[in-house]
Amino acid sequence: MAFQFRLPDIGEGLHEAELLRWLVKVGDQVQEDQPLLEVQTDKASVEITSPVSGRVTKLIGSVGDILQVGSVVVEFDGDQAAAMPPDQEAEAAVAAAAPGGQPPKAEAVLTPPPAAPASPAAAQAPQAAAAARPGGRVLAAPATRRLAREMGIDITQVPGTGPAGRVTPEDLRRFAAGGAGVSTGPTPAAEAAPSVSAAPEAAAAPAPAGTPGAREERIPLKGIRKVIAERMVQSKRTAPHVTTVDEVDMTALAAFRSRAKELAAKKGIKLSFLPFYFKALAAALKEFPYLNASIDDEKQEIVLKKEYHIGFALDTEAGLLVPVVRDVDRKSVFQIAREMEDLIQRGRAGKLKPDELKGSTFTVSNQGSIGGLYFTPIINWPEVAILGIGKAQDRPVVREGQVVIRKMAYLALSFDHRLVDGGTATRFMNRLIQLLEDPDLLMMEAM
Amino acid sequence: MVMGQSKIGTDVLVIGAGPGGYVAAERAAQLGLAVTLVESTHLGGTCLNVGCIPSKALISVGDLLHKVKAAEERGLKVNGSLELDFAKTQAWKDTKVIKRLTTGVASLMKAADVEVVRGTARFTDPHTVQIDVEGGPAAIYGFKYAIIATGSRPVNPSFFSVDGRDVVDSTGALAFTEVPKNFVVVGGGYIGVELGIAYAKLGASVTIVEATEQLLPGTDPDLVAVLMRKLRRLGVTVMLQCKAAGGIQDGKVKVTDSEGKVQEVPADKALVSVGRRPYTEGLGLEQAGVKVDEKGFIVVDSQQRTSVSHIFAVGDVCSPVMLAHKASAQGRVAAEAIAGLPSYADWQTVPAVVFTDPEIAYVGLTEKEAREKGYDVVVSKHMFTAVGRALTMGESDGLVKLVADRQTGVLLGAQMCGPEVSELIGEVTLALEMGAQVTDLALTPHYHPTLSEGILEAAHSLLRNIEKTGKGK
Repeated sequence: MAFQFRLPDIGEGLHEAELLRWLVKVGDQVQEDQPLLEVQTDKASVEITSPVSGRVTKLIGSVGDILQVGSVVVEFDGDQAAAMPPDQEAEAAVAAAAPGGQPPKAEAVLTPPPAAPASPAAAQAPQAAAAARPGGRVLAAPATRRLAREMGIDITQVPGTGPAGRVTPEDLRRFAAGGAGVSTGPTPAAEAAPSVSAAPEAAAAPAPAGTPGAREERIPLKGIRKVIAERMVQSKRTAPHVTTVDEVDMTALAAFRSRAKELAAKKGIKLSFLPFYFKALAAALKEFPYLNASIDDEKQEIVLKKEYHIGFALDTEAGLLVPVVRDVDRKSVFQIAREMEDLIQRGRAGKLKPDELKGSTFTVSNQGSIGGLYFTPIINWPEVAILGIGKAQDRPVVREGQVVIRKMAYLALSFDHRLVDGGTATRFMNRLIQLLEDPDLLMMEAM
Repeated sequence: MVMGQSKIGTDVLVIGAGPGGYVAAERAAQLGLAVTLVESTHLGGTCLNVGCIPSKALISVGDLLHKVKAAEERGLKVNGSLELDFAKTQAWKDTKVIKRLTTGVASLMKAADVEVVRGTARFTDPHTVQIDVEGGPAAIYGFKYAIIATGSRPVNPSFFSVDGRDVVDSTGALAFTEVPKNFVVVGGGYIGVELGIAYAKLGASVTIVEATEQLLPGTDPDLVAVLMRKLRRLGVTVMLQCKAAGGIQDGKVKVTDSEGKVQEVPADKALVSVGRRPYTEGLGLEQAGVKVDEKGFIVVDSQQRTSVSHIFAVGDVCSPVMLAHKASAQGRVAAEAIAGLPSYADWQTVPAVVFTDPEIAYVGLTEKEAREKGYDVVVSKHMFTAVGRALTMGESDGLVKLVADRQTGVLLGAQMCGPEVSELIGEVTLALEMGAQVTDLALTPHYHPTLSEGILEAAHSLLRNIEKTGKGK
């Protein structure tokens, strides 16, 4: 008796995820909680683990496919798998179907519900294939049938994406790459280049007509990159950006931080400037509620947030991530430092959960850790302001009529001028700088 | 094994040099295997020597004679007499056609480095054959693999047994030294009808006796209807649901109809063409351990492998659908499978052609078969009377019929009767193998004016039928 594993709900209201890779193969004996597949949601890649032990009989979907939450992704057989109760969705579906809320019949429980509605492409392809095969006939050119044999593929198992469900050579390659492909992106180029690291394959793929293939490389815009692209455009289109730049004297805070570093090291904590920024921001945001806010465009309302969840831009190989430290106002510098370290490590490994990348009320982008004097950050919409931190460096400045060397950094605050006016923004920056320049004050106001 | 005889080793031993065997031998040799090909009579087998090729040679001569005679309407008149020198026809057939082709096979085998042994092979155990070599001592061959391609032989029924003189099988009918005056054909399958028409055109008075209710049993009735019209014009008598028995008695054949009425049909020659059976006698299949089904056909899998995994069989000996082109394709599969290639006999269709007048050709599913398989069937027909080229040839009777699935527009089959349809069927065969939709046929430019426009028009007409239901796009 087969067990069908459906893609579970992976986080706040997500209903689809991109298949990044299979972690098991057909025929594998899988233990409960063993990772089955890795998917890419809006910003995180997530490993999905098996709810049962059993032998994998079918993997549904190819790398790069968009999988629908609730659709069957893995099929198991084996006694243990069969002995498992149907998953919650199955129960829910059956319960909903039972009249008068009566408990569903035993046999009904064992019957898996029909697959959840998938994407149109996913729903159509198998239908078309099935429709073309009442006589057991596979629609495929002789050369494709031979290719299937050479690849060791049973072509009758391959869903065809060609006209009337014809199986194409691409379908075979997709099938070979990852089980019975339900494809949403049937172009060969997209298949050949699931990630930047597959660049040589992408280059080998036939270039679109008119493209001087050798002079450029084409990589499908998908995954994190696509999300970033969409978000940036949405922010810029929605929020009229203004950026104000000022400088902060970090000398005192740097001295304070070097003292605190030793304390932190004893606790195994690496202490950067950022947790101090976070504390200063939380304090300043409390005083300037319009900077910890958003606009509900639909209801035409201003939403002033009473929580201080601060996101920070994290540079990873896959692209920009923004992990969120929650309730910054209620956490210690050490706590924040510890949390950030964890978020950074898991973020770079692609192991963050979707809800760790959501819900920020204000965002910080610390370009300074890499370099650069200052920059004009793009607001992490629907937030209304973002702080960009330039690098801290010793610079000659004038203090009490004297040129002295101080550790200076530029701060750039981009704000949504729909909600925040220049005066408010400037006063907010002044307050932030005041807190950062005076660790004693920061201690009194924010810790 | 006979004492003192040495056993000759070979990789692949092919028994039978017909279109299945010689193609298998050539392919295996191309793939680097040492190949021995055993043939008891002539290279080329039934097809080249006493089947497809000689029959087509006679049919073509008959056609030519008939066309000239029938061209008076078109302003072609023979001044004087148009005579047939049949002995010359036969000599031409034997030397200029058959000899040339069989010599060609011999050169192919030589070029491919296939050892050809003339003799009769018999398995003595699963790894050994004894070959009774013509004019020499028996040879013992040990092989790693064997391919049985011994083909089929005409059935010689007890109710009308072949005597080789007046009552003949197809082999005998192809070797007549003169055209019979009264020619009775017993069995209205493709061999009987083809040769019946050929001899009718060459001057014989022909009667075809068929036990079932239709000539060419199993063929789409729409096609046979066209054929029947032409047979009437050619003066061929067709006796359906009738049985001939007892051979030729006093220049007559006794034919009994379904109601038991007996008629006497004049006959100086009779052809018995009631079917062919697999040729496995004397082959020693039991010694080899090769299994046959209840009808005597060798049982094979989709790689042509028999019940003994290193022994293969191809062609008529393993299938009641006896077609040379199928045997060749199977021979290729067997050779490649032996060489370890992932080859399978997985073609979707095998086209069939009957060289009647007009020709009949079909491939894929008929309307009836498609319905039985559960398709939502849509059919179209296009008559050759509406094809310009057919009219210019003076051969406008016939039709192209296409069968498709209404839901998907996928082409399922084609049946044709008309001029040169033996050539036209190739286009549809390719379309079927490619998994084409009827739209693919309709959107392919067809040259004008050609007979192939019949396929184009049938495709468009089928699409219009689909459009009425809004499916199959």
